[in-house]
Amino acid sequence: MAILEVKHISKKFGDLEVLKDISFNVEVGEVVAIIGPSGSGKSTLLRCVNQLERADSGEINVCGMNMLHTEDGKAQYADKKTLRDIRLKIGLVFQNFNLFPHFSVMQNVIEAPVHVLKQSKAEATAKAQELLKKMGLEAKAKSYPCELSGGQQQRVSIARALALSPDVLFFDEPTSALDPELTGEILKVIKELAQEKMTMVIVTHEMAFARDVANHVIFMDQGYIVEEGTPEEVFGNTQNERTKQFLQRYNGGEPPLA
Amino acid sequence: MDFEAIKKVTLILLEYLPNTLSLFIWTLVFSIPIGMIVTWLKKCRCRPVNWLTDLYILIMRGTPLMLQIIAFHYAIPMIVSSAVSSGKTGGIIPFLQSIMNNEHYMIITLVVAFALNYAAYFAEIFRGGIEAIPKGQYEAAQMLGMTKMQTFFRIVLPQVTKRVIPATANEVIVLVKDTSLANVIAFAEITMKAKQQMNFYSSILPLFIAGIFYFVMNALVTMLFSFIEKKFDYYK
Ligand SMILES: Nc1ncnc2c1ncn2[C@@H]1O[C@H](COP(=O)(O)OP(=O)(O)OP(=O)(O)O)[C@@H](O)[C@H]1O
Ligand SMILES: [Mg+2]
Repeated sequence: MAILEVKHISKKFGDLEVLKDISFNVEVGEVVAIIGPSGSGKSTLLRCVNQLERADSGEINVCGMNMLHTEDGKAQYADKKTLRDIRLKIGLVFQNFNLFPHFSVMQNVIEAPVHVLKQSKAEATAKAQELLKKMGLEAKAKSYPCELSGGQQQRVSIARALALSPDVLFFDEPTSALDPELTGEILKVIKELAQEKMTMVIVTHEMAFARDVANHVIFMDQGYIVEEGTPEEVFGNTQNERTKQFLQRYNGGEPPLA
Repeated sequence: MDFEAIKKVTLILLEYLPNTLSLFIWTLVFSIPIGMIVTWLKKCRCRPVNWLTDLYILIMRGTPLMLQIIAFHYAIPMIVSSAVSSGKTGGIIPFLQSIMNNEHYMIITLVVAFALNYAAYFAEIFRGGIEAIPKGQYEAAQMLGMTKMQTFFRIVLPQVTKRVIPATANEVIVLVKDTSLANVIAFAEITMKAKQQMNFYSSILPLFIAGIFYFVMNALVTMLFSFIEKKFDYYK
Protein backbone atom coordinates (compact mmCIF):
# COMPACT_ATOMS: atom_id res chain seq x y z
CA MET A 1 0.00 0.00 0.00
CA ALA A 2 1.26 3.45 -0.83
CA ILE A 3 1.62 5.48 2.34
CA LEU A 4 2.41 8.58 0.33
CA GLU A 5 1.25 9.39 -3.18
CA VAL A 6 2.55 12.51 -4.86
CA LYS A 7 1.08 13.28 -8.26
CA HIS A 8 2.09 16.06 -10.67
CA ILE A 9 3.11 18.53 -7.96
CA SER A 10 4.31 21.91 -9.15
CA LYS A 11 5.45 24.87 -7.15
CA LYS A 12 6.71 28.34 -8.00
CA PHE A 13 8.41 30.98 -5.88
CA GLY A 14 7.42 34.08 -7.78
CA ASP A 15 8.61 33.41 -11.32
CA LEU A 16 10.97 30.65 -10.26
CA GLU A 17 9.59 27.20 -10.99
CA VAL A 18 11.07 25.06 -8.25
CA LEU A 19 9.01 21.89 -8.65
CA LYS A 20 7.80 20.72 -12.05
CA ASP A 21 5.35 17.86 -12.39
CA ILE A 22 6.77 15.77 -9.55
CA SER A 23 5.21 12.34 -9.03
CA PHE A 24 6.33 9.47 -6.84
CA ASN A 25 4.97 6.94 -4.35
CA VAL A 26 6.27 5.69 -1.05
CA GLU A 27 5.21 2.21 0.03
CA VAL A 28 4.88 1.01 3.60
CA GLY A 29 8.24 0.01 5.02
CA GLU A 30 10.15 1.56 2.17
CA VAL A 31 13.17 3.84 2.49
CA VAL A 32 13.34 6.44 -0.24
CA ALA A 33 16.45 8.54 -0.77
CA ILE A 34 16.17 11.83 -2.65
CA ILE A 35 19.44 13.07 -4.10
CA GLY A 36 20.36 15.87 -6.45
CA PRO A 37 22.37 19.05 -6.77
CA SER A 38 21.87 22.09 -4.57
CA GLY A 39 18.84 24.12 -5.57
CA SER A 40 17.17 21.25 -7.41
CA GLY A 41 14.08 21.52 -5.16
CA LYS A 42 14.56 18.62 -2.74
CA SER A 43 13.82 20.63 0.38
CA THR A 44 10.90 22.37 -1.26
CA LEU A 45 9.41 19.00 -2.20
CA LEU A 46 9.71 17.77 1.38
CA ARG A 47 8.26 21.01 2.68
CA CYS A 48 5.26 20.76 0.35
CA VAL A 49 4.54 17.22 1.50
CA ASN A 50 4.91 18.36 5.12
CA GLN A 51 2.58 21.37 4.69
CA LEU A 52 5.33 23.85 5.47
CA GLU A 53 4.94 25.15 1.95
CA ARG A 54 1.85 25.19 -0.30
CA ALA A 55 2.04 23.52 -3.68
CA ASP A 56 0.49 25.31 -6.67
CA SER A 57 -1.07 22.25 -8.21
CA GLY A 58 -1.06 18.48 -8.13
CA GLU A 59 -2.32 15.85 -5.73
CA ILE A 60 -0.95 14.45 -2.49
CA ASN A 61 -2.42 11.55 -0.52
CA VAL A 62 -1.04 10.48 2.85
CA CYS A 63 -2.14 7.24 4.52
CA GLY A 64 -5.23 7.13 2.34
CA MET A 65 -6.25 10.70 3.21
CA ASN A 66 -6.38 13.32 0.50
CA MET A 67 -4.30 16.32 1.47
CA LEU A 68 -4.52 18.26 -1.74
CA HIS A 69 -5.98 17.89 -5.20
CA THR A 70 -6.34 20.19 -8.15
CA GLU A 71 -9.50 21.71 -9.51
CA ASP A 72 -9.41 23.91 -12.62
CA GLY A 73 -5.64 24.06 -12.38
CA LYS A 74 -5.68 25.34 -8.80
CA ALA A 75 -4.61 23.46 -5.69
CA GLN A 76 -7.44 22.66 -3.27
CA TYR A 77 -6.33 21.71 0.21
CA ALA A 78 -8.36 19.49 2.51
CA ASP A 79 -10.19 20.93 5.51
CA LYS A 80 -8.29 21.87 8.65
CA LYS A 81 -9.12 18.71 10.52
CA THR A 82 -7.89 16.41 7.75
CA LEU A 83 -4.72 18.45 7.37
CA ARG A 84 -4.11 18.10 11.08
CA ASP A 85 -4.78 14.35 11.04
CA ILE A 86 -2.30 14.05 8.18
CA ARG A 87 0.26 16.16 10.01
CA LEU A 88 0.18 13.79 12.99
CA LYS A 89 0.88 10.84 10.69
CA ILE A 90 4.15 12.27 9.49
CA GLY A 91 7.30 13.46 11.19
CA LEU A 92 10.09 15.66 9.89
CA VAL A 93 13.69 15.79 11.03
CA PHE A 94 15.31 19.12 10.14
CA GLN A 95 18.83 19.75 8.97
CA ASN A 96 19.52 22.05 11.93
CA PHE A 97 17.50 20.07 14.48
CA ASN A 98 15.23 22.93 15.62
CA LEU A 99 15.07 21.61 19.15
CA PHE A 100 13.34 23.84 21.70
CA PRO A 101 16.30 25.37 23.57
CA HIS A 102 14.35 26.23 26.73
CA PHE A 103 13.20 22.62 27.18
CA SER A 104 15.32 19.76 28.48
CA VAL A 105 15.83 16.74 26.26
CA MET A 106 12.97 14.95 28.01
CA GLN A 107 10.64 17.96 27.71
CA ASN A 108 11.46 18.24 24.02
CA VAL A 109 10.42 14.64 23.46
CA ILE A 110 7.24 14.63 25.58
CA GLU A 111 6.00 18.09 24.59
CA ALA A 112 3.83 16.94 21.70
CA PRO A 113 2.64 13.62 23.18
CA VAL A 114 1.43 15.47 26.29
CA HIS A 115 0.09 18.69 24.80
CA VAL A 116 -1.00 17.54 21.35
CA LEU A 117 -1.95 13.89 21.79
CA LYS A 118 -3.03 14.57 25.40
CA GLN A 119 -1.21 11.53 26.75
CA SER A 120 -0.55 11.42 30.46
CA LYS A 121 2.86 12.68 31.47
CA ALA A 122 3.78 9.28 32.92
CA GLU A 123 2.87 7.47 29.72
CA ALA A 124 4.71 9.98 27.54
CA THR A 125 7.77 9.90 29.78
CA ALA A 126 7.93 6.11 29.72
CA LYS A 127 7.82 6.08 25.95
CA ALA A 128 10.33 8.92 25.72
CA GLN A 129 12.75 7.06 27.97
CA GLU A 130 12.51 4.07 25.68
CA LEU A 131 13.19 6.24 22.62
CA LEU A 132 16.08 8.04 24.26
CA LYS A 133 17.59 4.73 25.20
CA LYS A 134 17.30 3.59 21.63
CA MET A 135 19.11 6.77 20.58
CA GLY A 136 21.82 6.12 23.17
CA LEU A 137 20.81 9.21 25.11
CA GLU A 138 19.26 7.81 28.29
CA ALA A 139 21.87 9.67 30.35
CA LYS A 140 21.02 12.99 28.70
CA ALA A 141 17.32 13.24 29.51
CA LYS A 142 17.83 16.17 31.88
CA SER A 143 20.35 18.03 29.72
CA TYR A 144 19.48 21.06 27.66
CA PRO A 145 20.09 21.13 23.89
CA CYS A 146 22.91 23.69 24.27
CA GLU A 147 24.80 21.12 26.35
CA LEU A 148 24.75 18.49 23.60
CA SER A 149 26.87 17.86 20.54
CA GLY A 150 25.27 18.31 17.13
CA GLY A 151 24.98 14.56 16.69
CA GLN A 152 23.26 14.19 20.05
CA GLN A 153 20.91 17.06 19.27
CA GLN A 154 19.95 15.44 16.00
CA ARG A 155 19.26 12.15 17.79
CA VAL A 156 17.00 14.02 20.23
CA SER A 157 15.13 15.52 17.31
CA ILE A 158 14.67 12.05 15.83
CA ALA A 159 13.33 10.84 19.18
CA ARG A 160 11.03 13.85 19.32
CA ALA A 161 9.61 13.02 15.89
CA LEU A 162 9.24 9.32 16.76
CA ALA A 163 7.41 10.15 19.99
CA LEU A 164 4.29 10.86 17.95
CA SER A 165 4.52 7.38 16.38
CA PRO A 166 4.40 8.70 12.81
CA ASP A 167 3.62 6.38 9.91
CA VAL A 168 6.32 7.99 7.82
CA LEU A 169 9.36 9.99 8.78
CA PHE A 170 11.02 12.60 6.56
CA PHE A 171 14.63 13.76 6.88
CA ASP A 172 16.01 16.86 5.20
CA GLU A 173 19.79 16.43 5.06
CA PRO A 174 19.97 15.18 8.65
CA THR A 175 23.76 15.15 8.69
CA SER A 176 24.63 18.29 6.73
CA ALA A 177 24.97 20.51 9.81
CA LEU A 178 27.24 18.01 11.54
CA ASP A 179 30.98 17.57 11.69
CA PRO A 180 32.01 14.65 9.49
CA GLU A 181 32.92 12.49 12.48
CA LEU A 182 29.38 12.88 13.85
CA THR A 183 27.46 11.95 10.72
CA GLY A 184 28.10 8.26 11.34
CA GLU A 185 26.06 8.14 14.53
CA ILE A 186 23.02 9.62 12.79
CA LEU A 187 23.33 7.33 9.77
CA LYS A 188 23.53 4.37 12.15
CA VAL A 189 20.30 5.41 13.88
CA ILE A 190 18.51 5.80 10.54
CA LYS A 191 19.82 2.43 9.45
CA GLU A 192 18.44 0.83 12.60
CA LEU A 193 15.06 2.43 11.93
CA ALA A 194 15.19 1.03 8.40
CA GLN A 195 15.80 -2.44 9.80
CA GLU A 196 12.66 -2.00 11.92
CA LYS A 197 10.77 -1.25 8.69
CA MET A 198 10.12 2.38 9.50
CA THR A 199 8.91 4.14 6.36
CA MET A 200 11.31 6.97 5.62
CA VAL A 201 12.05 9.59 2.98
CA ILE A 202 15.55 10.97 3.25
CA VAL A 203 17.06 13.90 1.39
CA THR A 204 20.80 13.34 1.59
CA HIS A 205 24.15 14.13 0.09
CA GLU A 206 25.60 10.91 1.56
CA MET A 207 25.67 8.78 -1.58
CA ALA A 208 27.19 5.70 0.02
CA PHE A 209 24.51 5.82 2.68
CA ALA A 210 21.69 6.27 0.16
CA ARG A 211 23.01 3.33 -1.78
CA ASP A 212 23.30 1.23 1.34
CA VAL A 213 19.99 1.96 3.07
CA ALA A 214 17.46 3.04 0.45
CA ASN A 215 15.12 0.72 -1.42
CA HIS A 216 14.35 3.46 -3.86
CA VAL A 217 16.43 6.39 -5.06
CA ILE A 218 15.09 9.55 -6.67
CA PHE A 219 17.43 11.92 -8.48
CA MET A 220 16.17 15.47 -8.85
CA ASP A 221 17.55 18.19 -11.05
CA GLN A 222 16.15 21.66 -11.73
CA GLY A 223 12.77 20.83 -10.27
CA TYR A 224 12.29 17.56 -12.16
CA ILE A 225 12.69 13.96 -11.14
CA VAL A 226 15.10 12.96 -13.88
CA GLU A 227 15.87 9.45 -12.75
CA GLU A 228 14.57 7.01 -10.17
CA GLY A 229 14.80 3.34 -9.34
CA THR A 230 16.53 0.89 -7.06
CA PRO A 231 19.99 1.90 -5.81
CA GLU A 232 21.46 -0.63 -8.21
CA GLU A 233 19.69 0.99 -11.14
CA VAL A 234 20.46 4.59 -10.22
CA PHE A 235 24.01 4.15 -8.96
CA GLY A 236 25.09 1.06 -10.86
CA ASN A 237 23.42 1.53 -14.19
CA THR A 238 22.92 5.27 -14.45
CA GLN A 239 20.88 6.27 -17.51
CA ASN A 240 20.62 10.03 -17.35
CA GLU A 241 23.58 12.21 -18.31
CA ARG A 242 22.93 14.74 -15.50
CA THR A 243 22.80 11.96 -12.93
CA LYS A 244 26.06 10.57 -14.24
CA GLN A 245 27.82 13.92 -13.91
CA PHE A 246 26.38 14.46 -10.44
CA LEU A 247 27.43 11.06 -9.16
CA GLN A 248 30.85 11.43 -10.68
CA ARG A 249 31.46 14.56 -8.61
CA TYR A 250 30.52 12.63 -5.48
CA ASN A 251 32.86 9.83 -6.33
CA GLY A 252 35.84 12.16 -6.47
CA GLY A 253 35.82 12.36 -10.24
CA GLU A 254 35.80 8.62 -10.78
CA PRO A 255 33.01 7.00 -12.73
CA PRO A 256 30.27 5.55 -10.51
CA LEU A 257 31.04 2.10 -9.22
CA ALA A 258 29.18 -0.73 -10.83
CA MET B 1 24.24 72.59 55.75
CA ASP B 2 24.82 70.79 59.01
CA PHE B 3 24.02 67.20 59.81
CA GLU B 4 20.60 68.07 61.22
CA ALA B 5 19.66 69.82 57.97
CA ILE B 6 20.82 66.88 55.90
CA LYS B 7 18.70 64.57 58.02
CA LYS B 8 15.71 66.86 57.65
CA VAL B 9 16.06 67.03 53.87
CA THR B 10 16.45 63.27 53.68
CA LEU B 11 13.26 62.77 55.65
CA ILE B 12 11.37 65.20 53.43
CA LEU B 13 12.55 63.39 50.32
CA LEU B 14 11.62 60.06 51.92
CA GLU B 15 8.15 61.42 52.52
CA TYR B 16 7.76 62.08 48.79
CA LEU B 17 9.45 58.88 47.66
CA PRO B 18 6.05 57.10 47.49
CA ASN B 19 4.95 59.60 44.83
CA THR B 20 7.99 58.80 42.70
CA LEU B 21 7.48 55.09 43.30
CA SER B 22 3.81 55.09 42.44
CA LEU B 23 4.48 56.90 39.17
CA PHE B 24 7.20 54.33 38.46
CA ILE B 25 5.11 51.29 39.34
CA TRP B 26 1.87 52.39 37.67
CA THR B 27 3.81 53.23 34.53
CA LEU B 28 5.24 49.70 34.44
CA VAL B 29 1.90 48.11 35.23
CA PHE B 30 0.29 49.78 32.22
CA SER B 31 3.12 50.23 29.74
CA ILE B 32 4.23 46.60 29.58
CA PRO B 33 0.80 45.15 28.66
CA ILE B 34 0.10 48.09 26.34
CA GLY B 35 3.52 47.49 24.77
CA MET B 36 2.55 43.85 24.15
CA ILE B 37 -0.69 44.93 22.51
CA VAL B 38 1.18 47.46 20.35
CA THR B 39 3.63 44.74 19.28
CA TRP B 40 0.70 42.56 18.35
CA LEU B 41 -0.98 45.37 16.39
CA LYS B 42 2.27 46.06 14.59
CA LYS B 43 2.58 42.39 13.60
CA CYS B 44 -1.07 41.79 12.72
CA ARG B 45 -2.08 41.30 9.11
CA CYS B 46 -3.95 44.53 8.60
CA ARG B 47 -2.04 47.26 6.80
CA PRO B 48 -3.96 50.31 8.12
CA VAL B 49 -3.52 49.04 11.68
CA ASN B 50 0.22 48.57 11.05
CA TRP B 51 0.50 52.12 9.76
CA LEU B 52 -1.37 53.60 12.70
CA THR B 53 0.85 51.64 15.06
CA ASP B 54 3.96 52.90 13.28
CA LEU B 55 2.67 56.46 13.54
CA TYR B 56 1.97 56.02 17.25
CA ILE B 57 5.48 54.71 17.89
CA LEU B 58 6.99 57.45 15.76
CA ILE B 59 5.21 60.19 17.71
CA MET B 60 5.85 58.67 21.13
CA ARG B 61 9.54 58.11 20.51
CA GLY B 62 10.03 61.12 18.29
CA THR B 63 8.86 63.86 20.66
CA PRO B 64 10.09 64.69 24.17
CA LEU B 65 8.37 62.94 27.04
CA MET B 66 8.31 66.28 28.83
CA LEU B 67 6.17 67.81 26.09
CA GLN B 68 3.86 64.80 26.23
CA ILE B 69 3.47 65.18 29.98
CA ILE B 70 2.55 68.84 29.62
CA ALA B 71 0.17 68.12 26.75
CA PHE B 72 -1.67 65.35 28.58
CA HIS B 73 -1.89 67.42 31.71
CA TYR B 74 -3.39 70.48 30.09
CA ALA B 75 -5.40 68.88 27.29
CA ILE B 76 -8.52 68.05 29.32
CA PRO B 77 -8.79 71.40 31.15
CA MET B 78 -8.40 73.17 27.82
CA ILE B 79 -11.02 71.09 26.08
CA VAL B 80 -13.40 71.61 28.98
CA SER B 81 -12.87 75.35 29.25
CA SER B 82 -13.22 75.95 25.53
CA ALA B 83 -16.38 73.82 25.48
CA VAL B 84 -17.87 75.59 28.45
CA SER B 85 -17.03 79.05 27.11
CA SER B 86 -18.82 78.20 23.85
CA GLY B 87 -21.84 77.07 25.86
CA LYS B 88 -21.50 73.32 25.42
CA THR B 89 -21.93 71.41 28.65
CA GLY B 90 -23.37 68.10 27.48
CA GLY B 91 -21.80 64.95 26.01
CA ILE B 92 -18.53 63.93 27.55
CA ILE B 93 -17.88 67.32 29.15
CA PRO B 94 -19.29 66.34 32.59
CA PHE B 95 -17.21 63.18 32.46
CA LEU B 96 -14.04 65.14 31.64
CA GLN B 97 -14.88 67.58 34.42
CA SER B 98 -15.17 64.73 36.89
CA ILE B 99 -11.74 63.42 35.89
CA MET B 100 -10.32 66.92 36.20
CA ASN B 101 -11.73 67.34 39.68
CA ASN B 102 -10.52 63.93 40.78
CA GLU B 103 -8.03 64.32 43.62
CA HIS B 104 -5.62 62.03 41.71
CA TYR B 105 -5.89 64.00 38.47
CA MET B 106 -2.20 64.79 38.37
CA ILE B 107 -0.94 61.24 38.80
CA ILE B 108 -3.58 59.99 36.35
CA THR B 109 -2.37 62.27 33.55
CA LEU B 110 1.23 61.47 34.42
CA VAL B 111 0.65 57.73 34.27
CA VAL B 112 -1.24 58.07 30.98
CA ALA B 113 1.61 60.07 29.46
CA PHE B 114 4.36 57.85 30.83
CA ALA B 115 2.58 54.57 30.03
CA LEU B 116 1.81 55.56 26.45
CA ASN B 117 5.37 56.75 25.95
CA TYR B 118 7.06 53.73 27.51
CA ALA B 119 4.68 51.33 25.77
CA ALA B 120 6.14 52.48 22.46
CA TYR B 121 9.65 51.60 23.61
CA PHE B 122 8.60 48.30 25.13
CA ALA B 123 6.69 47.42 21.95
CA GLU B 124 9.87 47.81 19.90
CA ILE B 125 11.84 45.73 22.39
CA PHE B 126 9.24 42.96 22.30
CA ARG B 127 9.07 43.06 18.52
CA GLY B 128 12.83 42.65 18.33
CA GLY B 129 12.55 39.68 20.69
CA ILE B 130 9.85 38.00 18.64
CA GLU B 131 11.65 38.56 15.36
CA ALA B 132 14.81 37.02 16.77
CA ILE B 133 13.08 33.65 17.23
CA PRO B 134 14.22 31.46 14.32
CA LYS B 135 11.59 30.33 11.82
CA GLY B 136 12.64 26.76 12.55
CA GLN B 137 11.08 26.98 16.00
CA TYR B 138 7.67 27.68 14.49
CA GLU B 139 8.13 24.96 11.89
CA ALA B 140 9.18 22.39 14.48
CA ALA B 141 6.12 23.23 16.57
CA GLN B 142 3.90 23.03 13.48
CA MET B 143 5.32 19.62 12.57
CA LEU B 144 4.51 18.39 16.07
CA GLY B 145 0.88 19.40 15.59
CA MET B 146 0.95 22.25 18.08
CA THR B 147 -1.72 24.93 17.68
CA LYS B 148 -0.82 28.58 17.11
CA MET B 149 -1.69 29.35 20.74
CA GLN B 150 0.44 26.49 22.06
CA THR B 151 3.30 27.54 19.82
CA PHE B 152 3.14 31.11 21.07
CA PHE B 153 2.71 30.44 24.76
CA ARG B 154 4.87 27.32 25.13
CA ILE B 155 7.62 27.87 22.57
CA VAL B 156 7.89 31.51 21.51
CA LEU B 157 7.00 33.53 24.62
CA PRO B 158 9.48 31.88 27.03
CA GLN B 159 12.30 32.42 24.56
CA VAL B 160 11.25 36.00 23.84
CA THR B 161 11.15 36.72 27.58
CA LYS B 162 14.74 35.63 27.97
CA ARG B 163 15.86 37.71 25.02
CA VAL B 164 14.14 40.94 26.08
CA ILE B 165 15.32 40.99 29.70
CA PRO B 166 18.51 43.05 29.14
CA ALA B 167 16.82 45.68 26.96
CA THR B 168 13.85 45.84 29.32
CA ALA B 169 16.19 46.37 32.27
CA ASN B 170 17.70 49.31 30.42
CA GLU B 171 14.32 50.84 29.83
CA VAL B 172 13.24 50.38 33.46
CA ILE B 173 16.40 52.07 34.69
CA VAL B 174 15.71 55.02 32.41
CA LEU B 175 12.16 55.13 33.76
CA VAL B 176 13.38 55.45 37.35
CA LYS B 177 15.23 58.59 36.33
CA ASP B 178 12.52 59.86 34.00
CA THR B 179 10.01 60.07 36.86
CA SER B 180 11.84 63.31 37.72
CA LEU B 181 10.33 64.85 34.57
CA ALA B 182 7.03 64.93 36.45
CA ASN B 183 8.26 68.02 38.27
CA VAL B 184 7.45 69.95 35.10
CA ILE B 185 3.77 69.95 36.14
CA ALA B 186 4.69 70.47 39.80
CA PHE B 187 4.05 66.88 40.82
CA ALA B 188 5.45 66.52 44.32
CA GLU B 189 8.10 63.90 43.71
CA ILE B 190 11.71 63.70 44.80
CA THR B 191 13.31 66.03 42.26
CA MET B 192 10.67 68.70 42.76
CA LYS B 193 11.15 68.57 46.53
CA ALA B 194 14.92 68.53 46.25
CA LYS B 195 14.78 71.71 44.16
CA GLN B 196 12.64 73.38 46.82
CA GLN B 197 15.09 72.38 49.54
CA MET B 198 17.98 73.55 47.40
CA ASN B 199 16.43 77.00 47.22
CA PHE B 200 15.57 76.96 50.91
CA TYR B 201 19.10 76.11 52.08
CA SER B 202 20.90 77.76 49.15
CA SER B 203 22.85 74.53 48.88
CA ILE B 204 23.30 71.95 46.19
CA LEU B 205 23.35 69.16 48.77
CA PRO B 206 19.60 68.35 48.53
CA LEU B 207 20.10 67.54 44.85
CA PHE B 208 22.97 65.28 45.80
CA ILE B 209 20.73 63.48 48.30
CA ALA B 210 18.05 63.11 45.63
CA GLY B 211 20.70 61.64 43.36
CA ILE B 212 21.46 59.02 46.02
CA PHE B 213 17.77 58.12 46.12
CA TYR B 214 17.73 57.44 42.37
CA PHE B 215 21.02 55.63 42.58
CA VAL B 216 19.75 53.26 45.27
CA MET B 217 16.51 52.61 43.39
CA ASN B 218 18.45 51.75 40.26
CA ALA B 219 20.87 49.56 42.17
CA LEU B 220 17.84 47.58 43.35
CA VAL B 221 16.37 47.44 39.84
CA THR B 222 19.71 46.23 38.49
CA MET B 223 19.93 43.51 41.12
CA LEU B 224 16.39 42.39 40.46
CA PHE B 225 17.05 42.09 36.73
CA SER B 226 20.32 40.24 37.11
CA PHE B 227 18.47 37.83 39.40
CA ILE B 228 15.81 37.32 36.72
CA GLU B 229 18.49 36.98 34.07
CA LYS B 230 20.17 34.24 36.10
CA LYS B 231 16.85 32.40 36.35
CA PHE B 232 16.90 32.13 32.56
CA ASP B 233 20.56 31.20 32.43
CA TYR B 234 19.93 27.47 32.31
CA TYR B 235 19.83 27.50 28.51
CA LYS B 236 21.34 29.43 25.62
N1 LIG C 1 11.10 30.56 0.40
C1 LIG C 1 11.67 30.67 -0.81
N2 LIG C 1 11.48 31.77 -1.54
C2 LIG C 1 12.04 31.89 -2.78
N3 LIG C 1 12.80 30.97 -3.35
C3 LIG C 1 13.04 29.84 -2.66
C4 LIG C 1 12.49 29.63 -1.36
N4 LIG C 1 12.91 28.42 -0.91
C5 LIG C 1 13.66 27.90 -1.89
N5 LIG C 1 13.76 28.72 -2.95
C6 LIG C 1 14.48 28.47 -4.20
O1 LIG C 1 14.00 27.27 -4.72
C7 LIG C 1 15.03 26.50 -5.30
C8 LIG C 1 15.05 25.12 -4.70
O2 LIG C 1 15.43 25.22 -3.35
P1 LIG C 1 15.52 23.97 -2.39
O3 LIG C 1 15.89 24.49 -1.05
O4 LIG C 1 14.28 23.18 -2.49
O5 LIG C 1 16.72 23.17 -3.02
P2 LIG C 1 17.48 21.90 -2.45
O6 LIG C 1 17.45 20.88 -3.52
O7 LIG C 1 16.94 21.50 -1.14
O8 LIG C 1 18.96 22.43 -2.28
P3 LIG C 1 20.05 22.06 -1.18
O9 LIG C 1 20.68 20.78 -1.59
O10 LIG C 1 21.03 23.21 -1.27
O11 LIG C 1 19.38 22.01 0.13
C9 LIG C 1 16.31 27.29 -5.07
O12 LIG C 1 16.60 27.99 -6.27
C10 LIG C 1 15.96 28.25 -3.98
O13 LIG C 1 16.67 29.45 -4.12
MG1 LIG D 1 17.67 21.54 0.88
